[in-house]
Amino acid sequence: MIFITGPLYSGKRSFAKGLLRCDDAALSERCALDVHELAAGCADLESLAERLSRYEIVTAAELGGGIVPLDPKERTARERAGRLSCLLAARAGTVVRMFCGIPTVLKGELP
Amino acid sequence: MTALIVGGAASGKSAFAEQLLCKLSGSAPRIYLATMRPFGAEAKARIQKHRTSREGLGFETIECYVNLASLELPQGSAVLLEDIGNLCANELFDPTGRGDGAADAVVRGVERLQKRCGALVIVSNEVCSGGTIYAGDTLRYMRLLGEVNNRLAALSDLVCETVCGIPRIYKGEIST
Repeated sequence: MIFITGPLYSGKRSFAKGLLRCDDAALSERCALDVHELAAGCADLESLAERLSRYEIVTAAELGGGIVPLDPKERTARERAGRLSCLLAARAGTVVRMFCGIPTVLKGELP
Repeated sequence: MTALIVGGAASGKSAFAEQLLCKLSGSAPRIYLATMRPFGAEAKARIQKHRTSREGLGFETIECYVNLASLELPQGSAVLLEDIGNLCANELFDPTGRGDGAADAVVRGVERLQKRCGALVIVSNEVCSGGTIYAGDTLRYMRLLGEVNNRLAALSDLVCETVCGIPRIYKGEIST
């Protein structure tokens, strides 16, 4: 599994599309996109990460770089999104972080 | 050897910093310098999570909420200081803190630690990548932490950012 992270709108999805050379329909079949959205309501992040790691590519936005939110729900959601990303990165063969559309490989190699 | 580990929330800073300190410390006594005041259930749960993670690594925990420069530690200790975000908030907002002199208080404290420690691993927080629409005290805090991070990076041998648990090195190298 290739895990792609990075800020919102940093080019994660386009990069995934380029890697798989596929259209949007195929992309959503073969990839788990924006999985940070799944983390907020999930108490068992290990199982979620396990399940997601069967996809070819998983993308998640990096949300933890701002001020700690005042709202406890938002705090928990952010915390879980971060944890989920750590778990996915540990399971991934390759980890890429996008910045302004430019990929940096943090772990492994790109195909 | 001084290392600065910076990262966002739940980016794997602590786990990486613990591993790094254990690698650097050899047989030196390991000290965990805790900076978060245990106010409220959430803070207590967070402290417990960190305690559990350190269990079995042989750390002695010492609490230091403000005035790091006054802390006396045995010469040659290996210290994990966690974290600069809390220390800055305490110095800035706590009645016992230094207020406008917060940045100098934190940096001088770290400089003093650096002289006494064989290995020093500092954990700090990235809080400035989540927008700019903040006012008053929040913006003041962000500016303080940004300044302190820059100054600490300048005096560190190793500067890493953790991204989903993976260290990204900006300065120095991790010896294997």
